[in-house]
Amino acid sequence: MDYEPTPAEARAALEVVERGRLRVIEQIDVPGWYWWGLALGWIGLGVITDLAHPWITAAATLAFGAIHSAIAPRVIDGRRRSPQLSVRSDVVGRRLPQLVLGGLLLLAGVTVAGSLALAADGAGHPVTIASVVVAFVIALGGPQLLAVVRRRAVQAGPRA
Amino acid sequence: MSVPRFDELIHPATRLSIVALLAASDWVEFAFIRDQLALSDSALSKQLSTLDEAGYVRIERTVSNHRRRVLAHLTPAGRAAFRGHVAALEAIVARAAPGATQRN
Repeated sequence: MDYEPTPAEARAALEVVERGRLRVIEQIDVPGWYWWGLALGWIGLGVITDLAHPWITAAATLAFGAIHSAIAPRVIDGRRRSPQLSVRSDVVGRRLPQLVLGGLLLLAGVTVAGSLALAADGAGHPVTIASVVVAFVIALGGPQLLAVVRRRAVQAGPRA
Repeated sequence: MSVPRFDELIHPATRLSIVALLAASDWVEFAFIRDQLALSDSALSKQLSTLDEAGYVRIERTVSNHRRRVLAHLTPAGRAAFRGHVAALEAIVARAAPGATQRN
């Protein structure tokens, strides 16, 4: 090699590399409408469960699952916040979709358990109440989860 | 672990910034790179052409929703060169660190 930078120049160049990586990491996100839509759907399903016939509840649950299955794969990988770039999956971390779906399964369990506990306590509309609580967790916790994912991507270092 | 290999083509700050953005992405739109790095269209075109000629970057022109888009991808050769360059920079910094073995 003809030219070798000084250690100070090399350090400055590495900072340039890191700034580029951080610019891309800032673009890791799941759209806000996904969390709010999910939260509203969760509440809607809770209300239907409390008020409607079990067949209608079953149909609504299937519809909710089908709509979510159609939308989620396109947004929960966290790689396309901006239409101007696609973040590499190894920068985001390959486990984000599993984390989101696992979290939703856990929250479904929490909703059922909460509803049963509220029903045992004699509350009116127990599923609606439990769904509203879980909907808040989704709407507020989803963006927090992505903040954690971005922090972990920063800590992972420039090994993309 | 990449083999350290200093790359004079990548090293200039503007080109290094461009390649660092591309290295963390599957593809990046021309406008995003231009805006993030505060470059003019012509300056960015020139840098991308240099990287393209070296085989480090692939430029793709597409039309989406009646809008023309220019997307830049880092090629496998570009990615390997970038990793080798980063490893070379890290080696230079590591050699200068206090306590590092001095070379004669």
